[in-house]
Amino acid sequence: MSLLWLRVAVLLYGIASLAVLPAALYNRPRWRHIAIPATTSAIFFHFVSLIEMLNAAHHRLPVDAHETQSFLGLFLALAFLFIAGRYKTVSLGIFVLPICFLLGLIAAFRPGEEATTFPHLHTGWIFLHVALLLAAYAALFLSLLASLLYLLQEHRLKKKSPAITWLPPLETTDQIALKTLLFGLPCMTAGLLIGSVIAQQTIGPSYFLDPKVLLSFAMWLAYIGMIFIRRHSGLRGRRAVYLSSFVFLVVLAVWAANQLSVVHRFTAP
Amino acid sequence: MSVNSTAPNLILLGINHNTAPIEVRERLAIASSRLADATRALAHQPGIREALILSTCNRVELLTVQDSAQTSTAEKPATLRFLYEYLNIPVTDLQPHIYEFREREAIRHLFRVASSLDSMVVGEPQILGQVKDAYSAAREVGAVSTTLEGLLQRAFTVAKRVRTETQIGSSSVSIASVAVDLARKIFDSLEGKTVLLVGAGKMSELAARHLIQQGAASILVANRTQSRAEQIAQEFNGQVIPFDRLYEQADRADIVITSTGAPQKIFSRSHGQQFLHRRRNRPMFFIDIAVPRDVDPSMNEVEGCFVYDIDDLQQVAQANLADRGKEAEAAEAIVTREVDKFQLRLQSRGAVPAILSLQQNAEAIRESELAKAAKRLGSLTPDQQAAVEALTRSLTAKLLHPQLVALRRSESNPENQE
Repeated sequence: MSLLWLRVAVLLYGIASLAVLPAALYNRPRWRHIAIPATTSAIFFHFVSLIEMLNAAHHRLPVDAHETQSFLGLFLALAFLFIAGRYKTVSLGIFVLPICFLLGLIAAFRPGEEATTFPHLHTGWIFLHVALLLAAYAALFLSLLASLLYLLQEHRLKKKSPAITWLPPLETTDQIALKTLLFGLPCMTAGLLIGSVIAQQTIGPSYFLDPKVLLSFAMWLAYIGMIFIRRHSGLRGRRAVYLSSFVFLVVLAVWAANQLSVVHRFTAP
Repeated sequence: MSVNSTAPNLILLGINHNTAPIEVRERLAIASSRLADATRALAHQPGIREALILSTCNRVELLTVQDSAQTSTAEKPATLRFLYEYLNIPVTDLQPHIYEFREREAIRHLFRVASSLDSMVVGEPQILGQVKDAYSAAREVGAVSTTLEGLLQRAFTVAKRVRTETQIGSSSVSIASVAVDLARKIFDSLEGKTVLLVGAGKMSELAARHLIQQGAASILVANRTQSRAEQIAQEFNGQVIPFDRLYEQADRADIVITSTGAPQKIFSRSHGQQFLHRRRNRPMFFIDIAVPRDVDPSMNEVEGCFVYDIDDLQQVAQANLADRGKEAEAAEAIVTREVDKFQLRLQSRGAVPAILSLQQNAEAIRESELAKAAKRLGSLTPDQQAAVEALTRSLTAKLLHPQLVALRRSESNPENQE
């Protein structure tokens, strides 16, 4: 049943991805009225499927890569919906919604089959650890995307060809980029802290020598550094994109480091 | 058989900016204070059932519903007679400039006018409000009835469709509104933004006025002549900056409008860098309306500085105008579809009296036959009575159905019309 709801969610993400194109590119309110409800419904079915999927697998958090990707997609869709409501722009949906669609599609048609024996997977704390870090990743991704849109809009305005209307105003993209970063910081900090406490209890000090853990703390430092620079120098435009891209690369490295990590191997052999 | 052989005729007569010079248009123009009175006078002309007058600076149009017999036999059309009697303008003076549309073409023209497709600046938003005012005035004097009511309501819906489904009115085509649009691409909302006027030109004042209307919070004015700066500041409820302190204060502004007559550039690239540094990279928008220019174009290369001179603004306005032309094609398609739909509705409405008469006749026969049969049937239980009632109703409806459909079709088919 969980796969059925996920497939329904994927279909709705697909509809939203198509509807957002005329809504954003040609400013057609009728399409906006399709894209937003489709996304809202997709989030609902995605959430239902995720709960069912996790319950069926008798664990409370996504264990394999597909479940995690699906979870990340849910966060991205939620963030898109929030931004569309708060900043009255659906332009980010051109990029975010197809990503949600793809992340959901993989999980819907190639579900993970990994089982787990890790005892702490049944605690709420580990769920929070994963959820907070995924929320931070989603925030960072949206910040990078907003910075790229800022760059594109700035380029159009500098070239004196501002006819392109789908790009949000500079101030809006700047706000989205900064606010998502500020949202991501407490998520990442709390997520890492919770993870550290759990690991300290279960694995001991050797936890801090794990490559993924080391990279995660490097990512946190880079994140802090980026926010500090952005807030204190008012960094915008090209240099902000470079900085966001660098931190995003660190995040990708952290994600990839799962392959090297001993601590983050929850699945049964 | 044509059911609506006495159906009224819809006639639109008028002049506009394409057919008449301003000298003619101003003679015909009716002030809004006199609009209701003029509409009443038009509606009281013999043969006119309903009437509406649209009078703007670019057009005067008389939309009337007239008796068909009147329109075919009258020596002088009622609308022209009205123009002569009410406005005292000889028909011969107007004849070369007048256009007249009937039926489908009149509906089409009204839809195009309301949708701003017939305007001098295609897509301008004022015309819909003016059509609504004309409608209100006509209703006020009782000059609007079934036909015009339906037509006008449809025209408003079409205009709204055109606005929401096309981009016809979304881009700005005047220099001042282009400046506002650009500012909104940088700052989104102009609420709380500060505007600095450097120099005192008419166009820069107009741009500032537009920015204030959009929510800009405060105006700073710097001018070499202090008294003129004070005068403008007072006008906008703003604040004067001494010209010699311009570079110290300019970074307070988010938007700078320059229009001095200075032969040299006032703002250089390095000024832009200084301002941005002091503003911690918050963007600044320079609108340079001066010729020769006040702002060094190389300032545009500074990250966060956006410099648009008068030519840049004009280019954007022209590009927007061209875009409106493309959108107008999509809007015309909407209008054509809506005209078809409305005409079909109008035509099928002609069959209503015949349909009603047929239904009433059939019902009378049914009731009389039922009364005769009641004697033979004797006493029936309430259930049996209801069953007989339902049976006769159903039989009558089924027997009538093909004839009613044929009637509606014959009214909708243009070949069956005279």
